[in-house]
This record gives sequence, structure tokens and C-alpha cells, in this order.
Amino acid sequence: MKGKQGFVLILLIIIPVFISGCWDSIELNKLSIISGLGWDVDADTGQVTLTFQSIIPSETKGAAGSSGDGGQKRGNPLHTIQLDSSTGSSAYDALNRYSQHSSRRTFYQHTQLYILGRSAAEQGIYPFLDSIARNPINRPNVLMVVSEKKARDILSIQDGMESIQAMGMAAEIKLSAEYSQYPVVTYLEFAQRLLSETTAPLAPMVGIIEQAGPEGDSVKKTRINGTAVFKGDKMIGQLNEDESRGLLWAINKIKKGFLVIPGANLEIVTAKSKIIPELQDEKIKITIAIDEESNLLEYDGHREISSDLLQDLEKGQAREIERQVMAAVEKSQALNADVFGFGDTVHRKYKKEWPVLKARWEDIYPYIEVVVKVKTHVNEIGEINKALMRD
Amino acid sequence: MSLENGKISSFQLSVLIIGFIFGASVIIAPGQGAGHDAWMAIALGLTEGLLIAWIFTALARHFKGKTLVEINSLVYGKILGNFISVLFIWYLFHLGALVLNNYSRFLELELYPATPKTLTLILIMLVCASSVRRGIEVLARCSLILVTLTILMAIFDTLLVVPHMDLHNLLPILDIPIGKLLWTSHATAIFPFGDAVAFLMVLAFVNKPEKGRSAVFKGVLIAGLVLIGVAVRNAAVLGQMNPIYTYPTYITAQVIDVGDVLTRVEVLVAINLITMGFFKISVAYYGAVLGLAQVFNLRSYRPIILPIGILMVILALTNVSNTAEMFDFANNGYPIYTIPFQIAIPLITLLVAKLRKLPQIGGEQA
Repeated sequence: MKGKQGFVLILLIIIPVFISGCWDSIELNKLSIISGLGWDVDADTGQVTLTFQSIIPSETKGAAGSSGDGGQKRGNPLHTIQLDSSTGSSAYDALNRYSQHSSRRTFYQHTQLYILGRSAAEQGIYPFLDSIARNPINRPNVLMVVSEKKARDILSIQDGMESIQAMGMAAEIKLSAEYSQYPVVTYLEFAQRLLSETTAPLAPMVGIIEQAGPEGDSVKKTRINGTAVFKGDKMIGQLNEDESRGLLWAINKIKKGFLVIPGANLEIVTAKSKIIPELQDEKIKITIAIDEESNLLEYDGHREISSDLLQDLEKGQAREIERQVMAAVEKSQALNADVFGFGDTVHRKYKKEWPVLKARWEDIYPYIEVVVKVKTHVNEIGEINKALMRD
Repeated sequence: MSLENGKISSFQLSVLIIGFIFGASVIIAPGQGAGHDAWMAIALGLTEGLLIAWIFTALARHFKGKTLVEINSLVYGKILGNFISVLFIWYLFHLGALVLNNYSRFLELELYPATPKTLTLILIMLVCASSVRRGIEVLARCSLILVTLTILMAIFDTLLVVPHMDLHNLLPILDIPIGKLLWTSHATAIFPFGDAVAFLMVLAFVNKPEKGRSAVFKGVLIAGLVLIGVAVRNAAVLGQMNPIYTYPTYITAQVIDVGDVLTRVEVLVAINLITMGFFKISVAYYGAVLGLAQVFNLRSYRPIILPIGILMVILALTNVSNTAEMFDFANNGYPIYTIPFQIAIPLITLLVAKLRKLPQIGGEQA
């Protein structure tokens, strides 16, 4: 019995050595942690260029921790991150070429952002989407954006307060959801729209602007400035600021944000919307019902703040919202891309008729009659209830 | 002398069945073929699964305190009875190997890309072997703790993923052709519910045999309801992507993101999978080992635990060559292949027993 216990004890000591699971562990300083991944395709040759923005962990720590040399490092924007790209005939070919000349192993689990170059998006991003979903190291909630020019250009710009550009941009996009101007799209949402029979995938667009810098020089900054509209995996057009807002109104993605109408500014408190399809003699009519509540932030007129005035403001808001939604509808019908998911709502309501409608959806969509019904309400007027200056 | 002296209560049996059914269904999402109507396929499958459970519990009630092997030799005589028993033991053995195989594929893809499959399989097999060696009582007691934890974790996961749900994804209801729905629901009836037929080797050890059937029903029903909830959750979160992903439950957990802090909790799902797979493998393993010992009239089943385990690992390593094949078999082959074992053997044995008016009074000695 004694011998058996001793044997068990020896086993208990030996087994953890072999099965503790760290035999192929890689330390942090041997990793190149990818924060943002750019995807460009050359329009002529079809060559794929992957751009990797990787984090150098030790440098980030220095910049954030000690103020002494941190400030110095801020001066060199690309110190905490390293930008590298490689070109190949496919994503994995490019990746292979990159890995070969990289001193560290690439680590994708913390990727924040996929940036698709515009010309790549226009040629179709199916290979990219497939390679992302197939590989288990990629996560479904990584953000997707389309770059106005090349993805590499965006990733090389140091903007904002974050030392890691891709993380900064991801934070910017997530925060922008609060202002409800452009859609925030994760990989999963993009793929869901792609798989839908009719709905067009979307992604926010990022452009580069130049501003006067602190020392009179010009500084490049990134700005979200539109919504890329896809048909299948190919980008076919984009929505501008107003149209993007209109789109968000219709698909119930407005959370908060500001609404500017002539003579007044309002803050959106809550907003809900519903797309109601109706099928009459093979003709589809869509009603978009929007229910909005807001607070008054700024009133430029001189009228007494009365319920009359508030009613006027409510009407003004309703007009503005309707204008934005209709702008989006017109643009999407011109592009013949169902960005609102009208097809899916029809599918849900008219299951039997759907197979016929689906086949002709391309011909149906541009001529769908869309009616926007907006109900608005002004909740609060702020701390003053009279005009500051009389007429 | 009996090979197994342990007794389990009917409550423990229910919990063990829940663990058994969760087993591989955490990995291979049942009803995935029905797209967003998966919950309906599972609900229909649950009904059929309860029917299967009704058949095999009827057999167990007819022969109280006897395992299928003993029943077979009573009903068909020694030679034919043992032949049928060996067929059934093959089914249990193969079932264990299939689950082991699912298991190792999932672990290799998602968690341990560099660890050889053989190693993960051997480790799992050793744990199962140890629990089989200690008998059904120990396994049943384990299930109480681990199944409770798993259900709690499933609820936890579901609550965290609520902000990402869109119930519109479940509409329109009944969007697939009725034939396909029925086939998928049959597939879910067979896997995971029908696999509970393995409990024909365990029902003999319930301390109150008359409560065996209601315990089986409770277990199957609770497991089925949880699976329906999981299917609704997955479809609501993943939408059109639900049928695309190989392991939708795992991906659903990846979506969880509470304020950038509570993220990357998908490993909880993997833990669920590992613990629940343990029950499924162990019960199948236990049934196979005990059955074999009874067929060959061994005095103890312990000496054959390790050999059977090694064979199981070898079968798990060789029986399917890739994940596509595994899913092809699970969706198209398995629902037909298992009909003889899950439905025909219990049903025919029951009918023959009734015709031969077995068991006779005082036939306990036979």
C-alpha cells in the first residue's frame, strides 16, 4: 500500500510537467500584437497587400507610465506601433511573406479593426471575409471600416490621443455610436447582411483630412465621413452625412445625438423606428414609423417658449428627419442596394409571396413606395424659459 | 454476484441524463440544418426523443433491475441474446468514440492548436476511465455539481449576450421546407435525445425502479428545454451566420462584450463542453465495459476498462478523417444508422418479451 501511494505521488509530480499546457507558450516580447489589419488590392494586378499595425508592448507601457520619457516618445508617433505591409497573390501569401521577415510571431487575437482599401472593396472582399471567418483566431466583433484611399494610408496616420492608432480609431468608432451619425459595423454584422438574400452590407468610411497643426504645419487626421454601401461583397457607392443619418433613423440605430433644424438645435433623447411592409396587388409599400423624443439645446429665435413654439419645433424636427430618411431612400434606390433590409421585413411578413418577390427584387427595389411617418416630442427646454433678447 | 453494487437515486439519474444529453450537443448545435427554425426542430425532436425514451424505459420497467445485456439473454436465449448485446455494445463503444472525436476536433481548432489530438484524447479517456472504474454512483454524484454549474454558466452567457440579440432573426417562423424540418427534427431526436438509450445499461441501478421512467423523462425534458433556449439565443445573436459557423455556441459567447471589460468569456463554453462531454463519454464507456463484462460472464468489469478505452481512442482517431466528414455523418448518416439501436432493439425486445410472457414470476433466478 505504501509503495502504491508513493507511485501516485510521483505521478502527481511528473504529470503536471508534461500536461500543464505551456510547452509551446510564447512570451509577450516574442509577439507582434496586431492592432489593425489593412487590406488593399491592386486594381491592375490583383495583388493583395496586407498592412499590419503591430503594438510594441514595452513601448506602450513607457509612454503611458512614466511621464519623463513618455513625452519624448509621443514626439515620434510611430514609436509604440510598427507599421509593416507585405504583398502577395492572396491574403495568406502576403501573410506568409510578412511572417518570413518578421522577428516576432504575429498575434491576431487583439485586432481591433479591419480596414479595407476602397479599391479592394470595389473589387470584392469575399476572399478577405472568408479567410477571416475560417480562422478561429479571429473574433466576430472586430470593427470594419472602408478607407477612402488605401488602407495603409489610414493606418499610418497618428491621430487623437491614443498612441496606438487602430485602437484609437476603434474607440472613436465605438464612441461615435453615441452621436448616431454613421453606422458602427462589426465583422459579424457585415457578414449577416452579406448572407441575407437582399440586404446590402454597410461599413463606415474613413477619410483623411489636413488641418493646421500646432506649429503652423499641416497635420493629417482621420475622419469618419460616410457610409460605404456594398452589393454582395463589392462596394458600389457611398452615403453622405445626411443620408447616413437617415439610414440610421430607419434601421433603429439612433441612440443619442444632435439634430439641427433651422433656428434650433435639439438633443435626441430616445428614438425608435419600425419598418412596416405592405403588399397590395404585387406592389410593395413600406412605411417607416419613427418615434423620437428630444430636449431643446439651443433656440435662436425670440419667441416666448410656449407649447405653440414647441409644436413648431416638433414639426420642424419631423420635417428634418423625414428629409434625411428620404435622402437615404432615394440614394439607396438609385444604387439599387437595399441598405434598410426592406427585403428581410417583407420576407418576414409575406413568407409565401417571398420566393417570387426575391427573384425580381432587383427590379422591385428602385420603385418601392416609401412613406415616412415621424412622431416627435420635445421633452425639456433647459434652464431658461424666455428668450434672452426681445425683438 | 453483481458487477455493479452502486445504486443511484432517480434525481441523480435525471441530472446525469441532462449532462449526457448536453454532452456533444454543446459542440454540434442540434437542429442547425433548420437555420433559424432550429428551436422548432429541437422541439419536434424532443417529442420524438421522449417517444424513444418511452420505449426503452418501458423495456426497463418490464425487467426491473436488469441491464439490456441480461434482458437480451433472457428474452432471446444465450446465443442470439449475446449477439444482439454485442451489437448494442458496439453502438455504445462507437458513440463514445464519436463524442471523443468531436471533442478533440473542437479542442484542436479552438483551444489547443498545437497539442496533438492523441494527447487530448488520452487525457480525456483517462479521466473517464477513472470514473468508470469507480462505478455509476460516483459518476451520478459528479453530475449533480457539474451539471448545475453548466446550466448556471449557460444562463450567465445568455444574460450577457442579451444586448446583441435581435429576435427578428427568428422570423419568419417555418421558413424551411417541411420535409427538411422533419428530417432535421428526426436528427435532433436521435442526437442528442435518443442517445439516452445508453441508459438501458444504467437504469437497472436506480434505487426505486418504478421512478426510473419519470426520471428519464424529466432529464430529457429539461435538457431539451435548455437546448431550445440555446438555439433561440444563437439564432437571435448570430442571425444568418448561425448556420454558417461550425460551433455557433462558441461564437455566440465570443460576441459577449460588456463595456470592453467582460469579454473573451468563450472559454466558459469550452469548459461546459469538456465537463458535459465527460458525462456522455463516461456513460457510453461504462455501458460498453459493463455490457461486455456481462456478455462474457466476467467477475469484474475493471480489467477491461483500459483496453476498451485504448480501442475507443484509436477509433476516435481514425473513424472520421475531417470535420466536414464528421458533420456529414452527424447530419446525414447518424440519424439512420442509429435507428436499429435506439428504436428497433428496445422495441423488438419488448414485444418478444411480451409475446413470450417474460419475465415469469420467480424468474429472477434466470
